[in-house]
Amino acid sequence: MSRLSQFTIAAIGTLAITGCATMNVSSHVQRGLDISRYHTYDWGPADALPAGDPRLEQDPFFQDHLRGEVEKAMTLHGFEWSAAGERPDLLMHYHANISERLDVDRLDVQRGYCGENGCDVPTRQYEAGTLVIDVIDARTNRLLWRGWAQGAVKGMLANQDTMARQINEAVARMFEEFPKPL
Amino acid sequence: MRPLARLIVVGVSAFTLAACATTNVRSFVERGIDVGQYRTYSWGPAGEQATGDPRLDNNEFFQERIQAAVERHLNARGFEKTTTEASDLFIHYHASVQQLVNPDGVDQPYATCEGCEPYVYDAGTILIDLVDARTHRLVWRGWAEGSIDGVVDDQAWMEKRVDDTVARIMERLPRGMGRAS
Repeated sequence: MSRLSQFTIAAIGTLAITGCATMNVSSHVQRGLDISRYHTYDWGPADALPAGDPRLEQDPFFQDHLRGEVEKAMTLHGFEWSAAGERPDLLMHYHANISERLDVDRLDVQRGYCGENGCDVPTRQYEAGTLVIDVIDARTNRLLWRGWAQGAVKGMLANQDTMARQINEAVARMFEEFPKPL
Repeated sequence: MRPLARLIVVGVSAFTLAACATTNVRSFVERGIDVGQYRTYSWGPAGEQATGDPRLDNNEFFQERIQAAVERHLNARGFEKTTTEASDLFIHYHASVQQLVNPDGVDQPYATCEGCEPYVYDAGTILIDLVDARTHRLVWRGWAEGSIDGVVDDQAWMEKRVDDTVARIMERLPRGMGRAS
């Protein structure tokens, strides 16, 4: 591939990513982790602190859909749900948080002087949701991987289709970052 | 090294620091305490406080990085890590994140706002307390605050930032504290 076309592809790729990325996804992983040592998983007890947002964590649709998507993703990565009565290799937790975030509007109008008290910074509040998924070693109880997705929750709480789409995107993109067998 | 050359080296490194590190570091020490009396430490009970950033709450990778960095500096100072019962000092740390607005000058009197671009950023704080294990009084507190935009999403960057920040906080431990100082 020539340098130029490579550059063009990279540029378009960047554009496409920034164009649609209203959701921010990333992860942390235990250094040197060999995920191939683990085969089975189960959902662990909910984590204690701090409380997730009840609008999400007590919404049965949210819970069911999220768990379903995560279970699909785990199956795709080759993990099995542990048999009843057996200790799983991995325990999964999720945590859904909604918090107020600030944004600053552009100061397009303020071309003049600001007066003796200066101008106010035009800020806007919005609700940002963070979905965290933790994967824990069931034997040692140590965190192996944490993935998260963050984005505005506008419209998501009132509309199940929107919520489902957001969950699908969040889980799919988080699990793209899931550790691969060494 | 000749004084002039040394001055230039100091000048250059100060410049590089100022250019990339907007982290503010502060500390205070309890007056009238013999800081030289402490030899051993252990971690105090972890107060499970929310950080204000769900990515960092109960995040063992983050917590262990801070603890490892603090221990490295304490050990280098000649402190010895012991059991809770045997320690002279309890160490606590707290990390928090909050959004702050940088007005970029528009809040100044008679600001002319062409090209002003106020912005919001995530300000992160790491605070480290050394507490007298016997009296439970705070002996020393050091903390650092700075923008962490983008840092948490990049694990390697977060690790480096934790290491650098803890180093800068621990540098401020008073002279005479620890066997090796």
